[in-house]
Amino acid sequence: MNAVLALAPRLRRAGGRDDRLTTALAVASFAVTTALTLSVIGGLLGFIGRQQDPVGAYQEELAGSYVIFAWVAVVLLIVPLLTLGGSAARLGVSRRDARLATLRLLGVTPREVVVLTVLETAWQGLIGAVIGVAGYLALLPVWSRIPFMGEPLSTGELWVGPWVLIGTVLVLPVLAAVSGMVSLRRVVVSPLGVARRQTPPGLRAVRAVVAVAAMGSFMVATSVGGLPEAALMVVLVGTLGLGFAAMNLIGPWALGLIGRLQARTARTPAQLLAARRLVDDPRAAWRVVGGLGLAGFVAGALAVVPVLASAGGDAEMVSGDPTSTATFSGDLMRGAMLTLVIAFLVAAAAAGIGQAASVLDRRREYALQVLAGTPVELLDRVRRREVLIPMLLVGVGSAATALIMLSPVFGVAGITDPSGLLLLVGCLVGGCALVMAVTETSRPLLRSVLAETSVRPD
Amino acid sequence: MSPMPQPPVPPGVTPGPVPTPVPAPVPVPTTGPAPTPTPVPVPTSGPPPTPAPVAPGTRLAARSLVKRFGATVALAGVDLDIAAGESVAVMGPSGSGKSTLLHCLAGILVPDSGAVLLEGQGVHAMNERDRSMLRRQRFGFVFQFGQLLSELPAVENVALAPMLNGASRKEAMALAAQWLGSLGLAGMETRRPGELSGGQAQRVAVARALITGPQVVFADEPTGALDQATGHDVMRVLTSTCRLAGATLVVVTHDAQVAAWCDRRVEVRDGRVVADVRRSA
Repeated sequence: MNAVLALAPRLRRAGGRDDRLTTALAVASFAVTTALTLSVIGGLLGFIGRQQDPVGAYQEELAGSYVIFAWVAVVLLIVPLLTLGGSAARLGVSRRDARLATLRLLGVTPREVVVLTVLETAWQGLIGAVIGVAGYLALLPVWSRIPFMGEPLSTGELWVGPWVLIGTVLVLPVLAAVSGMVSLRRVVVSPLGVARRQTPPGLRAVRAVVAVAAMGSFMVATSVGGLPEAALMVVLVGTLGLGFAAMNLIGPWALGLIGRLQARTARTPAQLLAARRLVDDPRAAWRVVGGLGLAGFVAGALAVVPVLASAGGDAEMVSGDPTSTATFSGDLMRGAMLTLVIAFLVAAAAAGIGQAASVLDRRREYALQVLAGTPVELLDRVRRREVLIPMLLVGVGSAATALIMLSPVFGVAGITDPSGLLLLVGCLVGGCALVMAVTETSRPLLRSVLAETSVRPD
Repeated sequence: MSPMPQPPVPPGVTPGPVPTPVPAPVPVPTTGPAPTPTPVPVPTSGPPPTPAPVAPGTRLAARSLVKRFGATVALAGVDLDIAAGESVAVMGPSGSGKSTLLHCLAGILVPDSGAVLLEGQGVHAMNERDRSMLRRQRFGFVFQFGQLLSELPAVENVALAPMLNGASRKEAMALAAQWLGSLGLAGMETRRPGELSGGQAQRVAVARALITGPQVVFADEPTGALDQATGHDVMRVLTSTCRLAGATLVVVTHDAQVAAWCDRRVEVRDGRVVADVRRSA
């Protein structure tokens, strides 16, 4: 075996406390990605199973629609989940930059550097995948309490099978390694290009135009002529996917715009610094909250569906089943809320990992600011604003937009039966609180980074 | 809320890129003592039984400072009086305790025993919160590199200091722009630290340190990351601006050419002051 590669396990153990912390964060994020992805796939498989093997008239008639909705949830969640995995891979790589640079100086070849990194990231991915599989198993009893089609999906229905589990444990390390390699490539190509210390080119407004034009043309194309029934699912899922892509184009640009507005009007140091962060790297903020956008919109739109259904009289969706309409609309709302909750879980993990990386990247700046008398509490306030403002804008903002758009439809009904709205508000408040709580994990990290730098004689 | 300190170096007063309101000191040769040394006897064995009284006109005084890190004794009883408006270079090899001395004087570290007195006020006895406030209101700092926040343009980096002391953003920004202008950085206001040269970034740091009207400016190897010519340039700006603002300057350095810009040179070895040389005016 190559002598350098034989060093890999030793290098892995040699890192300091921060190294262990970033490793733990990366592994935790891989685990969250794995557990939630498996859960989402499990749900999809469960509904497909009910479609293929329906029990009762309700499932026979409507299971197909549920499969479509499950696909919609998968489309909504898969991009944030993959983004989280990618962030986890990048976190590990960026921390190793300094050590890899030293190894390069010692005469280690670029190829060996790449292999070392790939080994480390893959190792983290493997451990994360194994923990994530355990997490999926632990979550099964939780998911199997939520009623769909009158009765919850059983753990048996949500079971993805051994092959999917084995495949996940094998594929995730590979994906992590590839993602790590891509971000490492930037280090190898230009070591100076990694540190973003210059004004980044602004994201252009062209993005918004392109996104809107794509959406518009798609809508026109689909409205021309009747589509065959079989194509309906493709169109629906495709529209959502396109909507999601459009949001991912517009999102960072809009966040950057808001950052510039806030930087102009900021009055306190915390407001100013948080706004400048947003201007500096709106993509980083979007990576955290992007998943909340469409999930929030869909949840907002579907929160009032049960009200509309009950207001719409006693039309039976399934003949001979008077409760079928209520069941269907309730399931729609529950599914939307569940999707929103999972999107918040992903956002929380992404926020935690993002803030930890931010503290480690800025350790020297922060330490010297505090030495010069800047209160540590300022840095805490900046961190909270940095996470809270994009989250409120994107997550809560999209849900509110949906409600406002639908308010002419449901009218007073939304007030007479506010249960769906209350559930939505509960999910939003709980989700935001969770994200903020996870963000606070970088508070002790910040303190330890500051303590280490100031107490160093000579 | 502290009153807004006025800029001691208003723009336009000093034409040219660098303010040189007082003649720049002539650098002394790196070898040998300063032109006319005035040695001050320094006790080298243990703290005196009773602390020496603080002489009038002293701004910052250390009495019998002791600081240990585990088994390492970083400061083994340091006495030092620094007069108002004086500039002092603290020199010494690596591990001599010079940075620890600066950190204790600046209220960053608390000495294990002994006293640090700012205008007679005991800095060593303050809690962390009060020391933090002291540092941002009455002290200024210039570090080797990396003290500017990379997301903020130069002018906002400077304005942050008065804003932290309660100034409005508008006031702080106007004052910061004046400071940048008077330090030869007009037109660089919106550049970010990554878009400035090392010397320009250190000038921004000097502006940030002095904008609050500090009584003492602490500089820890301020030219350590610069080439020699740029280093001299930064030292000229630092010493002349401190003098004009009436701020006491304490510079930690291992470079005798940097030390030559100061009125006084204090040498630290094994946690004690072993030489204290004044350059006569």
